Amino acid sequence: MDKNFAARRRRDLIVAAVLAGLAALAPLFVKDVYVQNILILTLMYAALSQSWNILSGYCGQISLGHALYFGIGAYTTELLFTKFGVLPWFGMLAGGVIAAIIAMGLGYPFFRLRGHYFVIATIVIAEIGLLLFQNWEWAGAAMGITIPVRGDSWLKFQFMRSKLPYFYFALALCCLAWFVTWWLEDSKWGFWWRAVKDNPEAAESLGVVVFNSKMGAAAVSAFLVAVGGAFYAQFLAYIDPESVMGFQFSLLMALPAVLGGIGTLWGPVLGAAILIPMTELTRSYIGGSGRGVDLIVYGGLIVAISLALPQGLVSLFSRSKAKGATR
Amino acid sequence: MTALLETRGVWQRFGGLVANSDVSISVGRGEIVGLIGPNGAGKSTLFNLIAGVLPPTQGSIWFDGEDVTRLPAAARCQRGVGRTFQVVKSFETMTVIDNVIVGALVRNTVMREARRKAHQVLEFTGLAARADVLASDLVPAEKRRLEVARALATEPKLLLLDEVLTGLTPTEAQTGVALVRKVRDAGITVLMVEHVMEIVMPLVDRAIVLDLGKVLVEGKPSDVVRDPKVISAYLGDRHAVSA
Repeated sequence: MDKNFAARRRRDLIVAAVLAGLAALAPLFVKDVYVQNILILTLMYAALSQSWNILSGYCGQISLGHALYFGIGAYTTELLFTKFGVLPWFGMLAGGVIAAIIAMGLGYPFFRLRGHYFVIATIVIAEIGLLLFQNWEWAGAAMGITIPVRGDSWLKFQFMRSKLPYFYFALALCCLAWFVTWWLEDSKWGFWWRAVKDNPEAAESLGVVVFNSKMGAAAVSAFLVAVGGAFYAQFLAYIDPESVMGFQFSLLMALPAVLGGIGTLWGPVLGAAILIPMTELTRSYIGGSGRGVDLIVYGGLIVAISLALPQGLVSLFSRSKAKGATR
Repeated sequence: MTALLETRGVWQRFGGLVANSDVSISVGRGEIVGLIGPNGAGKSTLFNLIAGVLPPTQGSIWFDGEDVTRLPAAARCQRGVGRTFQVVKSFETMTVIDNVIVGALVRNTVMREARRKAHQVLEFTGLAARADVLASDLVPAEKRRLEVARALATEPKLLLLDEVLTGLTPTEAQTGVALVRKVRDAGITVLMVEHVMEIVMPLVDRAIVLDLGKVLVEGKPSDVVRDPKVISAYLGDRHAVSA
């Protein structure tokens, strides 16, 4: 039994390495900038959703306010860069740390809430964050911040001529988020989080400090999402509150994980690989009519998948295994 | 030697309702003690106070020579109090082995060791064949067993069993009894709440009867069942007189 378990962990790692390797070769074949753009966004959302999944999937604290951490990552990086000339690489780390601290500060009162009340609190807090940034003059208020062009360089993490560096960074971020999840899954924290999700009272009786577990999950999750936000800001070269902190980001972090399989290792990547291209393609091919047909198709597909596979897309792969396990 | 567990003048009030009034009990090392009493006697409340789910309104709880009255459940588990729940609380989306690993992580921080410990406990409790099954797929008797396994994985000094034998078929209950004996033989003190008298009485070394939130009688099981006060608490005064 232990051998099976170790073998499965190793297999996951090998599959991930192969997929990452193949993804790294993609630019050799994909020269179209539009398609490259979709690939970058897909990888970014896969990374974000994987990070969201740590708090909401594994630990079961459903957050629909992660746009806040995304925005904090973006704003910290750009404010430090434009006002103090701090390189985006440091800004990215600073943004991650600030987001993690804010996540724990918010968790302190809100992790006492359960179920729907927690979800509502996360939405409200993210909206408050959005409003604050819309009115914060020093941070550009609703006008936002335009990132000054300093020429293509890895040092300044700025590229105008080619999107490929962004592609590789997004891929690296996606690998990082996946690997962190993989590593945490077979750790004390991973077990604690799943126990907290399934039954906090029983977890507490087995020595799990429920509150601290949630705080840990929130910090890791917020840190990684903020790094994603920093990346996105550099990628856009312009940010304003709505374009880095809008509610749609919270949804686009949650949806891939839910669709792919919430609380699973592969769910977010799988979900993002299907959902994000679908979002972009429906928008560009049938979105021009002004009648919202793209959104209808998009919403319809999500409903169809959720109805057919309530456990998420990963259940397609594990179905035979689950059958074998039940006797 | 001091008792492993002691409650000193413990009171618990829920608004106007007094669930436990001035309860002082002690459990010695290596004992199997039965906590019995009619419905609403305050057994579950006392259990929750001992496990640390909530602090008592008044009084103190001592475990292994330490005042644990204000310690939360997780801290008591770390000190060696293990428990099961009357209404089973398995981690339903996790496999049996993963359920037990959660418990084992209290004393083993290295995953490999926690996993090994969990396997040992599954062997001990007779669940080894079901290790990779989801907890939600277990039958009720197995779920009860999983509760015990999970608690044992925390390597408790005191195991609190909340009606683990209730609602089982006679055969299942007998296997349960054998498991409780085995646990005691492994050096673990057991305090159990139970309803099914004919199963509990031969098993326990000592019985404590609660009624209306107070300790009614305490003593050898054979004496306790003949005590007129106990009979009257369970069956009413008429029967007590005729006994």
